[in-house]
Amino acid sequence: MKLVPTAEMTLGPFFPREFAQGANDLASASANAIEITGRVTELDGKPLDNLVLEIWQADAAGRLDNPDFPGWGRAATDAKGEYRFRTVRPGALPGRAAHINFLILYSGLMRQLQTTLFFEAARDPVLDAVEASRRNLLVAQRVSEKRYRFDIRLRGDDETPFFDD
Amino acid sequence: MAIVVERRDPLTQAQGVERGYAQTARRWPAAPLVRRPLGASELSGPQPVLQRLPAVRGDLAGHGEKRALGQLIRVRIRVVDEGGVPVGGAAVEAWHCNAAGKYIHPNDSHDAPVDPNFYGAARLTANDAGLVELRTIKPGAYPVPDTGGWWRPPHIHFSVWGRVWLSRLVTQMFFPGEPLNEADAILNAIRDPQARARCVAQHVPSQTNELVYDYQVVVRGRESTALMR
Repeated sequence: MKLVPTAEMTLGPFFPREFAQGANDLASASANAIEITGRVTELDGKPLDNLVLEIWQADAAGRLDNPDFPGWGRAATDAKGEYRFRTVRPGALPGRAAHINFLILYSGLMRQLQTTLFFEAARDPVLDAVEASRRNLLVAQRVSEKRYRFDIRLRGDDETPFFDD
Repeated sequence: MAIVVERRDPLTQAQGVERGYAQTARRWPAAPLVRRPLGASELSGPQPVLQRLPAVRGDLAGHGEKRALGQLIRVRIRVVDEGGVPVGGAAVEAWHCNAAGKYIHPNDSHDAPVDPNFYGAARLTANDAGLVELRTIKPGAYPVPDTGGWWRPPHIHFSVWGRVWLSRLVTQMFFPGEPLNEADAILNAIRDPQARARCVAQHVPSQTNELVYDYQVVVRGRESTALMR
């Protein structure tokens, strides 16, 4: 049997606040927690409010099936377009540089957008798939030892690369 | 269990800039999306997602004096993968406006009354057969601001977790026989008529005081061995 996947549709502007809250901290009591913040903007740099971001990542040892580490999180932007995750820096998977998968849902997006955060411009098959001049847009800025910044521009100047898969 | 996910078919999946939906031209990326090789991190996923997201509310209609206004309905959602295999334990989120077309969200500026007995957000877990039942009231239609007369038909938003990261599905369910379905810029962005029709629930005759609808959700991906059957 081969069924056609249900068509995705826009999240709409009214994703319940309750759903958007309480899932952006993956690190709980970890002493090695890092903070990832960023602003999400549309054309002309206008910030987007109540946009939903979800992430999926390995634990600090590069495990994707650690029952004690959720690996998944969700955040929503505020009126300034800012989001925040608290997590651990993922370990590298075999053949991959350390990375965090991002998924973006919002009104005006007919379906989800997928992108990937990297911690440095290392060799990686997914990062290498992006044209060289745009790869830096997927590398988070290191603000301090435990703080990173990852701005996402949906459209316009320095638009974030998104993946088709 | 290896999961295979194929690329989306543009006939059955809308994307990009859509005429009649102005915000798509400000938000969908201008650059072509990048093809990437898929590996373990894209083809795995948060299985026990409900450990992070507890089931919160399965009945939005309420009872007795706390009954929400509107037509009582029951939606029977079935979650399967592309191989037709039920996704037991799938987490399902649902949200919709009240019978007058008003969301519980503070950003909704529509001039329609709030129903104190209606809170339009539910999170449920599918049973082993992939089934989820949502008891609620039928949502109303509402105008989309600054669009020159676009009215959203009654619809329920669904967010579903499949087997892997790339299976994530956020969509909307529509009701059969609604005239507004014919002109909706979101539903009609799906080019294939059959794919569009699958986004409309089927009414099922019932003997109870609820209108019953069946709605099947197919999440992306299937077991790599499922083709062999």
